[in-house]
Amino acid sequence: MEYLTSDKIGIVDLATGEIIEEELEDDWVLEKIGGAGITKFLYDRFEDEDPVVLGTGLLTGTLIPGSASGVITAKSPLTGRVSHVPLNLNAGMELKYSGFDYMVIKGASEKPVYLWVHDGIADLNDADDLWGKDVWAATDHIRDIMGDDLIQVLGIGEAGEKGSELSQVCINYWQSADRMGFGNLFGGKRLKLIAIRGMGLLEIAEPEAFVENCAELLSAVQSGAAIGTRGIAAMAAVLGEEDIESWLKPLTHKHMACFNTPIPTNTFVFLDEDPARLEETRIEEPGFLLTDIFPLLAFKRLGLAAADACRVLRTCAKYGIDGAAVAELSEKAGLTDPEAIKNSLPGLKGPVSTSGDTVFSPWAAIGNQEKGAWTRRQAVAYIFGLHPIFALAAPELTEEKLLDISSLGTELELTAETLDEVIAGITG
Amino acid sequence: MNGGRIYKRPDNGEHPKIGIYAGQGASHSWLWFVEIFDRMGFYDIRFLTEAHLKADGLDGCQVLAMSGGDTFAVAQGLGPEGADNLQRFIEDGGLYIGSCAGAYLPLHSSKEHLNLFNFVPARIANLTRTLPEAQRLKEKFCTAYGCSFIFHPVREAVQVATNGFEPFSKTPSLRAPLYGGPPMVARESAQVLATYSGFTDKTVFLVDEQLARDTVLGKAAVIRQKMGKGCLHLYGPHFEHPRFSVANQLLTDAMLWDLSKERFPAGDGDPDKETFCGPACERLMKDIKREVSNSRITAVSLETLPVQWTIRNKVYETAKIREFIEPVWQRIRRLEKLNQIVLLPGQDELLLQHAVEMTTVLREVKRGVRKGVNTLHAAKKMFETLNRTATLFLEIYFRTKLNLDRNVYT
Repeated sequence: MEYLTSDKIGIVDLATGEIIEEELEDDWVLEKIGGAGITKFLYDRFEDEDPVVLGTGLLTGTLIPGSASGVITAKSPLTGRVSHVPLNLNAGMELKYSGFDYMVIKGASEKPVYLWVHDGIADLNDADDLWGKDVWAATDHIRDIMGDDLIQVLGIGEAGEKGSELSQVCINYWQSADRMGFGNLFGGKRLKLIAIRGMGLLEIAEPEAFVENCAELLSAVQSGAAIGTRGIAAMAAVLGEEDIESWLKPLTHKHMACFNTPIPTNTFVFLDEDPARLEETRIEEPGFLLTDIFPLLAFKRLGLAAADACRVLRTCAKYGIDGAAVAELSEKAGLTDPEAIKNSLPGLKGPVSTSGDTVFSPWAAIGNQEKGAWTRRQAVAYIFGLHPIFALAAPELTEEKLLDISSLGTELELTAETLDEVIAGITG
Repeated sequence: MNGGRIYKRPDNGEHPKIGIYAGQGASHSWLWFVEIFDRMGFYDIRFLTEAHLKADGLDGCQVLAMSGGDTFAVAQGLGPEGADNLQRFIEDGGLYIGSCAGAYLPLHSSKEHLNLFNFVPARIANLTRTLPEAQRLKEKFCTAYGCSFIFHPVREAVQVATNGFEPFSKTPSLRAPLYGGPPMVARESAQVLATYSGFTDKTVFLVDEQLARDTVLGKAAVIRQKMGKGCLHLYGPHFEHPRFSVANQLLTDAMLWDLSKERFPAGDGDPDKETFCGPACERLMKDIKREVSNSRITAVSLETLPVQWTIRNKVYETAKIREFIEPVWQRIRRLEKLNQIVLLPGQDELLLQHAVEMTTVLREVKRGVRKGVNTLHAAKKMFETLNRTATLFLEIYFRTKLNLDRNVYT
């Protein structure tokens, strides 16, 4: 596969330490397009070896608006379904440029390891120094020893190491969209983290037309209804939770978008520093990046102050546990004291409803949409590599446009029928 | 603008034997020579240090390319033995191409060490006893020169007019970047091939503009000097800078114009060479690529930090680190595609050792900078390691390319 890819799939056998590489066949792209279409295909191929499959959408990391997402596909320990979780912030983009389009991680290691993916090289390294560290400390450690703060880290904390079914694969220091308990899979494989740095390049078959089409789409999106939505509270307001804005506002420092996504879906709050401060803070980590609406809403319902809710989420992120699940279980247990909630994390067990009842993470809220339409839109986002929330908010990114641009980028004839088949294959 | 002929290497498999100085006095600009010679298809390249030049490193060479850096360090490093060897090399028919610091070296001087290299009767026009006021880039604006100073009135692209002599006759005017190289005043037999004729929209003035005009314009930018059977070409601006293709063409045209056919060597100089193909080559390339990638990632990260180091008389910004890494990185892919490398016994292990050291020291520097500790010592080690790794890798690269090219003709 020549265009929009690195043309490489890494297959990591944790049991033996062996890493082999395969080429990405044109036919696979013609039949499965990309993203979840191909991660599911690879999952099925290695199903007997309990794989976790990482991948990027066909358009991840390109100029198309919202091209932020990669995907993790595996069998959810919580639902028993083969499920998909998006990789946002800069993780999807970095994976796209790391020299691998897909990475199959199969088997389990006897000792703690981490995977270092960069420039088409995948190295499995000893993680004795990392095992036992919380998510933040592990992220700091790996960035320090590798000498780069832009490395994206998909890692687990104590929750994953100890086999919590609610554990999460976090992205760097922050909570991710992993509501499927994939952190538990990492822990079972003794895989502490995957560090990714992408400094590669992508070739585009028809670059001028591709860029022109992306620019047109961006203009269309910028004229759309969603473009003024800024930050996590504003997105909650779209779901009818208007009063969260005033609740969170005193802590709000800035809003942050995932890679090339026109609406910022994340909000950085300052907990140990004046949020209005414009100068660079001298505190090593003054706050927390809110990436998920649901736990915030749940903690608010429990009556927690915004700062307390954010502090609980910070503890969840360090521990590597899904904040949405913690919030739901706290609600069920009637826990309203933030310290009591934090103390409850070790040993916390489900069942929880936060995994939803589809194969996609319900992190991108369904809101008032019809479920079938939501599912199809999520499938499209996971196949092409679009930010799943942005894909819902930007109907201008039509399936037809996405197929056209993909064909311009790859020189392959991708059709609506193929897309229908791929979606059917993923959603089962 | 490109009125010069487009050079094509003789298609008989013969390559001019070129030595590129990459010793302790060199900055990173020797890699610009690497780039243009590679583009021109000159693959018979060897990299020379002070030790080589003091021994027999120039034997069999037709050309010595001496790039930018620290002229004093070069002169001191070469010493009387190096000076004698260099003089003999030129008088016997060798061609010396000096750019920037390499141009200062053979100009007449009374200073210790430099006075060993009084080969070209020309005066340095930017030499002063009283320093003018620096308007910007104070750290790059001057260099002590005994009791005097060499000051650099401008940086970046300047306009150069050729003077109608061969081999520059077909290109009346061109742009080339000036990064501290000399404006010169030629005397006696020195032939001025090109003169500084103006500034450009890219020129950065480090001193008052009028003073810059008075110091630079009308002075010699390129000098050609015969010496025995050989010749010296001295370039104030970096004609070898890869982004200035017209200047590159003139430099190589001039090189071929004065290339001594008598010194054209015959045969293969590396009878012990080994060829790695297939899995052995893949394994080695992957190991090297891993380390170069690791280094490159740290280098990019270092570029975001506000740090620079003064090593000897030169200021090294973090961006200079990648000047060493990128030429290697780009050529790793080319070698991967060839799936074949030609090297001397032991060079595979040595290259890997250098590459691992490069990653280690880069990370050490990054950690030091982050912690706010003094990293000068580590930075010196880092640039030495970068230079060593790039030199060895490029030696292997050119040997491989030369070998493949020769196979085409045999």
